[in-house]
Amino acid sequence: MPAHQHAPRTSPARATTRAARPHPQPSADDASARQYSSADDPRVMLDRQVGALFEPIPPYPTRTEREGEFYSLGDGEMFLNVGPHHPATHGVLRLVLKLSGEQIVDVDPVLGYLHRGVEKICENSDYYHVIDQVDPLEYVSSLFQEWAAVLSFEKLMDVQVPRRAEYIRVLSGELLRIASHTLFMGFLALDLGGLTPILYSFIERDEIVEMLAALTGARMLFNYFRVGGVNGDLNHEFMSRLGDWMTRAAKQTEAQAGLLNENEIFVRRMRGVGVLDRATALRYGVTGGNLRASGVPFDLRRAHPYSVYPELDFNIPTRDEGDSLARYLIRVDEVRESIKIVDQCLHNMPDGPVMARLPRLIRPRPGRAWGACEGPRGMLGVYTISDGSDGPFRFRIHDPSFLNLETVPALLPGNLLADTMAVVSSLDPVMGGIDK
Amino acid sequence: MSAATPAGGRIRSAMGLMRSFPAQFWSRLSLQERLALIFVPAAIVAGVVTVLAVVLLGPPFLDFLGANLPLVRFAVAATAILLLTVPTAFVLIYLELKVIARMNLRIGPNRVGPWGIAMSVIHGFKVLSKEDFAPTGADITVFTLAPVVTYMASVMTLLVIPFAPGLIGQDLNIGLLYFFSMGGLTVVGLLMAGWSSFNKYSLLGGLRSAAQIISYEIPLTLSVVGVIILAGTMSMNRIVLAQSGSLLDWFVFKQPLAALIFFIAATAEANRTPFDMTEADSEIVAGFATEYSGMRFGFFFFAEYVNVFIVSALVATVFFGGWTAPFQWPWAYNLNWFNPWSFGFFGWLAIVLTVGYFGTIFFAVFARLFGGREWGLWASMGLGFLFLLVVVAGLVVLAGFIAFDWVAGLVWFMAKTYAFVITFVWMRATLPRVRVDQLMGFAWKWLLPASLLNLFVTATAVVLLNR
Repeated sequence: MPAHQHAPRTSPARATTRAARPHPQPSADDASARQYSSADDPRVMLDRQVGALFEPIPPYPTRTEREGEFYSLGDGEMFLNVGPHHPATHGVLRLVLKLSGEQIVDVDPVLGYLHRGVEKICENSDYYHVIDQVDPLEYVSSLFQEWAAVLSFEKLMDVQVPRRAEYIRVLSGELLRIASHTLFMGFLALDLGGLTPILYSFIERDEIVEMLAALTGARMLFNYFRVGGVNGDLNHEFMSRLGDWMTRAAKQTEAQAGLLNENEIFVRRMRGVGVLDRATALRYGVTGGNLRASGVPFDLRRAHPYSVYPELDFNIPTRDEGDSLARYLIRVDEVRESIKIVDQCLHNMPDGPVMARLPRLIRPRPGRAWGACEGPRGMLGVYTISDGSDGPFRFRIHDPSFLNLETVPALLPGNLLADTMAVVSSLDPVMGGIDK
Repeated sequence: MSAATPAGGRIRSAMGLMRSFPAQFWSRLSLQERLALIFVPAAIVAGVVTVLAVVLLGPPFLDFLGANLPLVRFAVAATAILLLTVPTAFVLIYLELKVIARMNLRIGPNRVGPWGIAMSVIHGFKVLSKEDFAPTGADITVFTLAPVVTYMASVMTLLVIPFAPGLIGQDLNIGLLYFFSMGGLTVVGLLMAGWSSFNKYSLLGGLRSAAQIISYEIPLTLSVVGVIILAGTMSMNRIVLAQSGSLLDWFVFKQPLAALIFFIAATAEANRTPFDMTEADSEIVAGFATEYSGMRFGFFFFAEYVNVFIVSALVATVFFGGWTAPFQWPWAYNLNWFNPWSFGFFGWLAIVLTVGYFGTIFFAVFARLFGGREWGLWASMGLGFLFLLVVVAGLVVLAGFIAFDWVAGLVWFMAKTYAFVITFVWMRATLPRVRVDQLMGFAWKWLLPASLLNLFVTATAVVLLNR
């Protein structure tokens, strides 16, 4: 053989692979060999892959009777996971729907995807840091969460808050309530397939949030309320922005409400859907606009007055229908009332300090206190136990969205898949507060 | 060993060079050289093959085509229509982005190209460059075929739409019937996609589309029957001709109820808001298209927008006079005296240079005046040139509009069609989505009886008047 010629190539690598993977020899008595040979059938392979890919539902043996009932499928029923990543679940809510066709038979809300252990973090902080920590809970209206914590601390400390500070709290709180409700209207429309209202909502909310940024220094997580007052007095930029906005607020609200109220498709999709009757609402502990839409005129601002609300003139709108449309209309009415309150605050704003005289380090006497305020979604409460140190010994947050969302399994069955979004959205949950 | 000897070493090194010749040679080339080395031989081979094919096969092929002119016509029409769909979809996507943005008090795309006009092209590239992905458990064959079926069903309906006098793919005598049967094929593609994706959202979307499109096809078809009775034909061209004359001859004035029903049902047929059940994003994520990505999704996307165009074109054709002008052109003017060949090459060159030079300066002055100091000299010259091009293009279209029937027809047809396209976009920006049961109830309880009533009244009137 000439030197420049190659020997015929016998790919040694391939030869060894072949030797290592001999063709299976099926034998009648060997069960594993039989299984292996059946995998040659592509359909069987598909089934195996799918079986390996998807865990059985639920992935554990059922633990309660309710679980067993929920996870047993009837004829023609199927499960549908809505969330945690779904365009219309307002965060990371997961609803396991049991569907028959498009009709909902049963619902199982699954929570906890956003749990951070805020209460425990608060127990490890001092009283000033708690205000900072509770901000991201109800991130749409964080002032109210601060307000509840501050109310409870002030009860512990027995502080007299200056009247100007109280008025500023009411003023900023009601502004934020308007922003929150406006956003609610937009997202409700978005969940029903309307593209435009959400952008109008954000314009409105942006104006409010910008003016609050002028007041507090932040757009969303304000960290503005303090034990015994607020952090900083009203300033020129805030007042000029507010005055500018107030000239057109009422008109803008009516215009935005008109976008939806007078839309036949919207009204037809909302009316009579997800009816929450009075007794059920009370039994579930629903608060806020959702309760008032079911005909119970319960509003903490009137029922357990705090701050300067007794001095202000406003109505508590209620409705008797209890359906999604009523829940929406209640919010529209509340925006109108809030504009009235803001107007009164501006007219009655007293002079004086915005902070009570307090020591730098807060150390309340041992004791316990419950502070609650009426947030846009209902009663936001904070229960604090003090052991005399500079931080809360126990810090418990009561979030209205959690209780409101609990009614979903009672409201949804019997409705269609499309109503899930209408009902959940009309309850206005904020997942940051629910999962804490 | 022989490696130590000079001769053996030389042989060894020569062998090594030869063995490693291709790899080293290639790795030392620059990118341009590599590209040249690939494309130049390829181009040479392709050129030789083409020339050979033309020389050898050309004459018999031309003879064959000459003997089968209908076939040529069909091939040309099909190619033209296939080529038409992509720019149409691009224009519609951009239009929708921009119009909805303005209605939402936004600006819309404004980064890619002037006023963001290249946005849809970038969308197209994005879709093309994405991974072609099929989920585990999907029925790959059906999964792959579904977008093709949907897209082809939309494209094939374009074949019978008369764009202008003489500009029609094929003037079938059963044009409308062909249109509805081809349009009905869309649902097959959507069902295939929904079933094969191995996803419950897709399945729900596919079933919704089946229920919806089948339900709405009945009032859609029934509402046109009145027009067919009045026109006495199903050929699209003759339906258009039956409406020629003035604005009052349009069928929308003779069949107002039918036009309304047709428009509503067509909205549902094109899966547009408020009837976009099949891809209700807040309910079933993306419906039948949930598991699709890349160009497979792109075909669905194209098909959707082509469908919007087709449906608008059909509304314009059947009820709004198609390519006929809404009024008699008040002055008759012919451009026969104008012979473009009389100028000669240098004549044209002189005209183009003169008009280009002075026109650019003329418009640049305006750009300079209104743009202020922000516009530098060259920027305003460029803008002036752009303005000039637009004006010249407008003048050319105007001349064509006056001189040629088909240009005028095309302009009118496009104007009417895009009016309806914008109506669809407007509806999408305005209305929320209806619920499935409301959707079906509306079709069967309201549209169907109304279209039957319309048919009854029309037929009775025709019988009574003809007696």
